[in-house]
Amino acid sequence: MDDDEHARALVDRARGDDSGAARELIRQLYPLVARIARAHRPRRTAEEDLCQMIFVKVFQNLHQYSGKVPISHWVSRIAVNTCRNALAAERARPELRYADLTEEQATIVQNLATTSDEVAPDRKLAARDLVEKLLTMLKPVERLIIDMLYLQERSIAEVQQLTGWTAAKVKVTAFRARQKLRKQLGGLL
Amino acid sequence: MKDRDEMLNRLFRAAAIHDTNPEMPFGFDSRVLALARERGQNGSAVIALFARRAALLAMAVIVIAAAGVYQLADSTNDLQSEYAMADNAIESNLGE
Repeated sequence: MDDDEHARALVDRARGDDSGAARELIRQLYPLVARIARAHRPRRTAEEDLCQMIFVKVFQNLHQYSGKVPISHWVSRIAVNTCRNALAAERARPELRYADLTEEQATIVQNLATTSDEVAPDRKLAARDLVEKLLTMLKPVERLIIDMLYLQERSIAEVQQLTGWTAAKVKVTAFRARQKLRKQLGGLL
Repeated sequence: MKDRDEMLNRLFRAAAIHDTNPEMPFGFDSRVLALARERGQNGSAVIALFARRAALLAMAVIVIAAAGVYQLADSTNDLQSEYAMADNAIESNLGE
């Protein structure tokens, strides 16, 4: 029995009120859901709370799962939509100013502008925070796409699978989001 | 513009997430199952409560309507007997 068949068997048992199967399903799907929640959570929402919200939705709608796609795809979509709704509740900031940056983030921006070197490994955390700040300027869907394509380094096909969008929509959204980010970055220089 | 694009790419590469498998917090599965059950039960409990109230209201309307019909039928019989008595009295008076 492969992973997918095993997961389907667990879903069937979980639908029949088998709490052991439901727990096993949560254990199997937790890494996938946590990674999506970690990447797309709003700044003020805890990762664990978001994961909990996603799993509750999964179990409340488990009777609607048709079995036509692998359970991981179905759960991913619920996770992405839940994150998108949570992000939509958070207002986009109008602009990011140089004064909003920490000293380390300001150094990263200066280095990016003056050299063609990669960001130093010890500054990766600051770079991540800087990108998060830049992403707050974008619409929730644009944030999601930038996050999936460039931070999680997923392919267009994978993003399509997760969002249910066409390749054209993914590319256009990414293009518009990058345009906004370029403008923001230009404003910081 | 191309420079800014390149800057953005370098920034993204630095900020890329290379996570190991996240570990599930202790008791997370129990919390999720309890919440899912609670919310599921609440939904059906609300529907059951609404259905029970609707049934009680319908029963009350039926009882009141039945009582009204019975009373009306009863009062119509009284009226008929009163008419019959009046007819009898008139006929007996005319006969005299």
